[in-house]
Amino acid sequence: MDTGTRVECQWCRSQNSPDARSCYTCGAPLDVRNLVSDSGWREAPRLRDMTEIHFGGSTCQVEGEIVPVAEIALGAGDWVYFEHHVMLWKDESAAMSVMPLGGGIKRAFAGMPFIITVAQGPGRIAFSRDATGELVVLPLHPGVELDVREHAFLLASHSIGYSYVRIKGLKNILFGGQGMFMDRFVAGNEQGLLVLHGYGNVFERMLQPGESILLEPGAFLYKDATVTMQVETQRLSSGLFGGTGMNLAKMTGPGRIGIQSMYVHHHTDD
Amino acid sequence: MSGTYTCRWCRMSTDAPNLISCPTCGAPVDVRDRVSESGWYELPAIPDMARLQFGRSYCQIEGTYVPVADFNLSGEDGVYFTHHLLLWKDPAIAIAPMALRGGWSRLFAGLPLLMTQAYGQGHVAFSRDAPGELVPVPLQAGMSIDVREHIFMVATNQVRYDWFNTGVWFQTRDGDETETHYPLGMYMDRFSAPGAPGLLLLHAHGNAFIRQLAPGETLLVKPTALLFKDSTVQMHLHFEHPAGTWRSWRSWGERFVWLRLTGPGRVSVHSAYDKFEDPGNTLSGSSPATRWQWRG
Repeated sequence: MDTGTRVECQWCRSQNSPDARSCYTCGAPLDVRNLVSDSGWREAPRLRDMTEIHFGGSTCQVEGEIVPVAEIALGAGDWVYFEHHVMLWKDESAAMSVMPLGGGIKRAFAGMPFIITVAQGPGRIAFSRDATGELVVLPLHPGVELDVREHAFLLASHSIGYSYVRIKGLKNILFGGQGMFMDRFVAGNEQGLLVLHGYGNVFERMLQPGESILLEPGAFLYKDATVTMQVETQRLSSGLFGGTGMNLAKMTGPGRIGIQSMYVHHHTDD
Repeated sequence: MSGTYTCRWCRMSTDAPNLISCPTCGAPVDVRDRVSESGWYELPAIPDMARLQFGRSYCQIEGTYVPVADFNLSGEDGVYFTHHLLLWKDPAIAIAPMALRGGWSRLFAGLPLLMTQAYGQGHVAFSRDAPGELVPVPLQAGMSIDVREHIFMVATNQVRYDWFNTGVWFQTRDGDETETHYPLGMYMDRFSAPGAPGLLLLHAHGNAFIRQLAPGETLLVKPTALLFKDSTVQMHLHFEHPAGTWRSWRSWGERFVWLRLTGPGRVSVHSAYDKFEDPGNTLSGSSPATRWQWRG
């Protein structure tokens, strides 16, 4: 095919054939204009019901809209990993195992999943999270490192490396809304598929080097590893009653950040 | 589109050409009204990225499941809100507390002790952590509406905030213990635009509907389903007992607690309301209320 006639997906930058209605790699509609607010937030693409996404020798079909399901048809030799409580149903033929993880005790104390489950093809397996929201499909190009709020990841394909990063600073741990750790996903030499679940609607914005924005900590969903996070506290005094404090996460570029509009609100020191 | 357009949701008129959505409340202009046979008008879904103009600033509505209200403040305008609804802000936007009267009463009633103001030039965005709809209520000068507690999201500085005791309560007795219940909450928020038009944003859980009551016309609604009403609409309790249920000296048996709304004015309800727990014990007192016992 002549590359000059290909259509580039505005969400994941993959090349698609000119007659494609949805991106082959991330499922984003190609015939719908981007929804970008004046402040620069781009809405995550609203995936059409029954859209198919391809990775390795496998496909992922997105079913439903309010609480969407990701149904994976795993090819022989392909595998995906996930937290076991997001599993909706599976074929009997899809083999299950657990991924060996380091730092089990630390993870358990930090409230992170102690084990990550692996499903191996051939076979079908489906995932959903029990809340209204959107699936965020992020094909990771080689070398990309992405930090994700704990428990927000739905599944990742085998070519994506999984680890976790400790959040630095006591204030960031106590008031940053992420706990002690964030999941880190790293694409090696091969592109892989990462699917997250965001509560409500999901928006993404690219921060320039040194550009900052202040977020409700519970709204944070993902960021490039290059984006730094620092909690800032603002006192709101009400005189006789003392008042309250508002903790906001200051995110500083360069890199992209993703937020969810139905956030987990973290109470401050009233 | 040419000529004057009057929005069917907020009733504001505009001469702006080629409208897609109402510039004041965001309701789309190119969809037909959805009105039930009983007269409820369904809030039309606000088009994604619609802009609502106020003063020299505007608010952009983003998303559909849990929409975000993204305010672009010009520097001359400001907004106030309950602080836990803040989603993100530019560093240039300053926030400060707004003092409220009756701190002790608000504290005991579970209402937010303070409102927070945002001002400066830049963007500040809000959302509530629940699926539903953003309900923009533009207030013309002189208008006043009453909003059930915890529904309010954000208002522009032209809107005056006050609160009042609902006066809607009943008491039940179980042995020596008397318990007071507030089906509508102890207090309601009142928003008015005394001098200039302003914009008020509410969050409806589920879908939002509005209806106009004629003078003297009445309607029974679940107290927790009420979203807002014009201040001219009166309200009191109504207890309804279905036929064929068991009653004793210590229990009224099955009992429905309704809020009777009496026009004139608008009333609005949302479809996903909280469950109100009525223990079913004998009533020992109430605010002005009516009762009805169905006979089998």
